[in-house]
Amino acid sequence: MSTTAALASRARRIASITPRGELLAPPRMTATALRLLVQVCLVVHLWRGLYAHTDSSAGLNETQAVTYAVLAVLANRIRGLDRSAGRDMVIQHLRFGTIVYWYLRPMSPRRYYALRALGDQLYGFGWVLAGYVLSLAVGVVVPPSSYEVAAVFAVSMLLGQLVLYYVMMLVDLLCFWTLRNEAALLILVFAQNLLSGVYAPLWYFPDWFITLSAFLPFQATLGVPLSIYVGRIGVDDAFAQMAVQVVWIVLLALLTRWLWDRAGRRVVAQGG
Amino acid sequence: MTAFLNSWRVAWRITRLNFKARLEYRGEFLMGVAVGAIWQVSIIVFASVLLTRFPGLGGWSSTDVLLIASMRMLAHGLYVLFLGRVQYMNILVQEGIVDPCLIRPMPVYRQIQLTFFPVNAIGDLVVAVGLFVAALQRSSLDWTAGRIAYVVAGVIGGMLVEAALFTALAAAAFHFPATSYWSQWLEELMGTFGSYPLSILPKAVSAAFTFVVPLAFIAYFPAGVLTGHGGDMGVPEVLAVASPFIGLTAFVLSRLLWNWSLGKYTGVNG
Repeated sequence: MSTTAALASRARRIASITPRGELLAPPRMTATALRLLVQVCLVVHLWRGLYAHTDSSAGLNETQAVTYAVLAVLANRIRGLDRSAGRDMVIQHLRFGTIVYWYLRPMSPRRYYALRALGDQLYGFGWVLAGYVLSLAVGVVVPPSSYEVAAVFAVSMLLGQLVLYYVMMLVDLLCFWTLRNEAALLILVFAQNLLSGVYAPLWYFPDWFITLSAFLPFQATLGVPLSIYVGRIGVDDAFAQMAVQVVWIVLLALLTRWLWDRAGRRVVAQGG
Repeated sequence: MTAFLNSWRVAWRITRLNFKARLEYRGEFLMGVAVGAIWQVSIIVFASVLLTRFPGLGGWSSTDVLLIASMRMLAHGLYVLFLGRVQYMNILVQEGIVDPCLIRPMPVYRQIQLTFFPVNAIGDLVVAVGLFVAALQRSSLDWTAGRIAYVVAGVIGGMLVEAALFTALAAAAFHFPATSYWSQWLEELMGTFGSYPLSILPKAVSAAFTFVVPLAFIAYFPAGVLTGHGGDMGVPEVLAVASPFIGLTAFVLSRLLWNWSLGKYTGVNG
């Protein structure tokens, strides 16, 4: 086997660790499917109920709002894998001392982390795709208004996933400096959900809130691509927003690279 | 009587020690308080966004919806403070921490609740009280002694309904420890739909939230009774009025289920 093929095979095996763990737990997959289905149904009714006596709010009509909300529920599944059950979160590795193995392998921890995240995100994307097709079929989600919008949305969504990857990595890297930081992690996860527009499209929020979130990377993860999809951000304005996404990717990539270098020097195996 | 007082004295001492233990990590302690507060603020932000952008929800005015949200938040804060550790049951079973509880001279359920001090409950309750005061100020209801008594009973009943649901799930963890997914989902459902009128949902779904996963009894029914929606909530008014009693009944039944499951527990560590 050539070196390239061997590397590809290794990368594939690493990327498939979490998904294979999921496949070994059918009840967990059943729970995921049921949870997604119920959450989508409930969100549809919530937004239809809100729009029962109004045609448009914050520049969004009912169809756009429902589509946005359903896609947000689905997209939230992309990184929704449960690694804690397998004691495989970074904070757990640091606490149990097993993080040392990340530094003993013939592969840098940064690359290992990237491959694991890639596997997680691809697996999550499978769920999203299935949910999206089903939602389209039953009519709770409308397709993009044109092929151009679909293409721009796809690129923006990909950029958004990269921003999300670096934000999640930043949260994980924080664990190297703080031994008790569950609360900080929860706050960051919450901020990510609120400021990315998972709970509600940012368009409904007060102006000061929209201005504040413009200076943070969170809305670049989900709010921007979904707003492009539903047409709240036009194709002409989308390129400026995508440029902002690229800037966040570059800044976060540089920051996390710098942090990985320093994190390795701090590794202490606590009784591991 | 002396034995009863002594046992609760021990529980109080353990709680004080737990509180001190959490204070050992000052930053984490303050962050923990912030987590509770911020999490609840998100519900306030979401609710206020909806209420300022939209005229109402499911035939309820925004003021009445605010009362549902604030009662649910108070009930949730009290549940987290007094009974919330039951949610960590699956981890306690997986790690074998339940086993030593079986040989200590204290009820296992109480030991579980004394595992650690829930710092985030402080943040939860501070924000909940703030929202509740805001809801009362905006409300045009005449707050008679009867209504005040019913609000208190409703909130306590709501706390017991939430505790009953998670206790039932904890009972399942004795047999099948991988319950974290279901627990997270239940929390998600409560956070998303416990604060709004269930009349926006199809009848079958609101019936499921009444008789299968009884979210409706946490805040929707008690708030509906207080605000005069008693007759149009899809159930006989007497059932809605009885919410606090149903909360108590549900909790007692869940505890019986939990005790039965504890009796069947065989350990997962070989």
